[in-house]
Amino acid sequence: MYANWGKILRVNLTTKQIKTESFGEDIARKWLGSRGLGIYLLLKEMDPKADPLGPENKLIIAPGPLTGTSAPTGGRYNVITKSPLTGYITFSNSGGYFGAELKRAGYDALVIEGASDKPVYLYIEDDHVELRDASHLWGKIMSETEKAIKAELKNEHIRVAGIGPAGENLVRFAAIINEVHRAAGRGGVGAVMGSKKLKAIAVKGSKNVVVADREKFMLVVREKINKIRNDPVGGGGLPKYGTSVLVNIINENGLYPHKNFQTGVFQYAYEQSGEAMVEKYLIRGIPCFACPIGCGRLNRLPTIGQTEGPEYESIWALGSNLGINDLATIIEANHMADEYGLDTISLGGTLATAMELYERGFIKSEDLEKGPPLRFGNTEVLHYYVEKIAKREGFGKKLAEGGYRLSKMYNATDYFMGVKGMELPAYDPRGAEGHGLGYATNNRGGCHIKNYMISPEILGYPYKMDPHDISDAKINMLILFQHLTAVIDSAGLCLFTTFGLGADDYRDLLNAALGWNLTTEEYLKIGERIWNAERLFNLKAGLDPLKEDTLPKRFLMEPMPEGPNKGRVVRLKEMLPRYYKLRGWNEDGTIPEDKLKELGLEEFK
Amino acid sequence: MILLVVLIMIKVKFFATLYEHTGKREIDLETASNVEDLLNRIEEMFPGSLKILEKGYMILVNGINIESLDKLRTKLKDGDTVSIFPKVGGG
Repeated sequence: MYANWGKILRVNLTTKQIKTESFGEDIARKWLGSRGLGIYLLLKEMDPKADPLGPENKLIIAPGPLTGTSAPTGGRYNVITKSPLTGYITFSNSGGYFGAELKRAGYDALVIEGASDKPVYLYIEDDHVELRDASHLWGKIMSETEKAIKAELKNEHIRVAGIGPAGENLVRFAAIINEVHRAAGRGGVGAVMGSKKLKAIAVKGSKNVVVADREKFMLVVREKINKIRNDPVGGGGLPKYGTSVLVNIINENGLYPHKNFQTGVFQYAYEQSGEAMVEKYLIRGIPCFACPIGCGRLNRLPTIGQTEGPEYESIWALGSNLGINDLATIIEANHMADEYGLDTISLGGTLATAMELYERGFIKSEDLEKGPPLRFGNTEVLHYYVEKIAKREGFGKKLAEGGYRLSKMYNATDYFMGVKGMELPAYDPRGAEGHGLGYATNNRGGCHIKNYMISPEILGYPYKMDPHDISDAKINMLILFQHLTAVIDSAGLCLFTTFGLGADDYRDLLNAALGWNLTTEEYLKIGERIWNAERLFNLKAGLDPLKEDTLPKRFLMEPMPEGPNKGRVVRLKEMLPRYYKLRGWNEDGTIPEDKLKELGLEEFK
Repeated sequence: MILLVVLIMIKVKFFATLYEHTGKREIDLETASNVEDLLNRIEEMFPGSLKILEKGYMILVNGINIESLDKLRTKLKDGDTVSIFPKVGGG
């Protein structure tokens, strides 16, 4: 087998047993790797009804076949587990350098089972694997954790992925953080790691990934790097401005959510845009492993010194969504979120829910346990509550449960802007209805990136579609995006390669590395299998499609009050039945026998 | 004989590399007819602007993408806001 090692490292934290297992090429042919391998293992090995924070949940950390190679952006890894935020599958993705290092240590997946009674960390150096005491690390923020581990292991070149205080305290939207500022953010994967008392994974790898035809692979790699470099986004906008180039784009298009999605335009958006960041705080762009784009941001503030990020989503979530214009406060809050180990999207979404509940009188000032008022625009909210959330102190105890559970405590779930319990990201769907359908149907809940319809509807990639067209062509594009994204994730590449590459290009890279001869359609079939397998997991976990494949009432019934999308709602009811039909699903959103058979999923029924 | 001249004011906003090139975040322009004319006027004022838009652009009139209107022939009226982006964004 090429590109994949065919090797899984299984660590049981209850018994402390560590072992390696093999898997054959037949598995890779069906599931590719990383995200695909993860759902296969979880469907095979765990009860989807298990408690996400209990020992029966499994945490899978997996690079892909192209991770650790010179394929452009070949450095990503996924974290696949049952989410404590949604109660459904989540597959959280991160960049940086940890994924490549884990791959070079010789593993396609780390399967963490059970739970330790005392804090531990995992140390992997190629074939050497050991569990080490982490009680002296428990409570440390990410930079301190990494520093301490490197000193203890006497190796500055070790890569570390782990949790901060938020994960330790089981905050429902805690993240797993690597290299201090890269995040496997969504779905509360950090809380799962915290429930197992696993503080960190430290890895050093020295094995070179073996591809099928090295010369051919390098030719293909060079061709694809050039495609990306010649693309105006992949080779222009992203390296120069980072993802925050989107702030002005999305605001001018009238779907930049403001004050918990009450409207889609923000008067002061410019102040938190990519252009503004370049002028005020940016030192330079930073790439991940093997990345020709370099969209990462190295910023410097007079208060905190150097930091990395924030991304577009983080700026929006901690900025416009909270009615906040102040980019410096946003950058500081993002820095804190990284150090404490929190998903910035859900952090912002939870605070926005709280602010709307406070302004509407549901949450009273007496509830706040001496904390500052949760008013939109009050920057002190960020300075004060981020830490309280991570430490589950004061009103932070309630906020740590996430926006959905918070709104439920006050009987006001109409003001929670999320799907399946996960807070929505930085695009108001009333401005892009296909994207709205994506939010409603995404396997991990309210997610933008795994079906990024903003690309065709707003940005014009692969070509421009009208954001308010709801024909079958739009729905088929969404389905294609859901499948292609699953392929790119499972390959171990970054989704920003889509600014430059098309489906055929991924086929070329994978065929050259794996030594296969699949068509693009065959790779997309793997994507369809992965999507349906994730859906099956969710159905078995108790998903009720007719109730949960939906959007907050605000988007269905409250017309956008102003801006270019004034008067718009999301016509979900008109799209959803056709989405199920085009997927070959039943009218109730479940998967029929013949579709399971077609995809080879009957064994998981 | 009375000669009637109709003056219309269009607000033009520049973003990303186009902002860098023109040095302006926004300007007010008097112009007559459509987006294509507007772009030519901008090229006159800030030569090299069209080259920046060569690799792709996003042009909005009052927040609506001209691809959903009449493309470069989209007519402009007094008080319109035209936002011009080179193709830069994703994430």
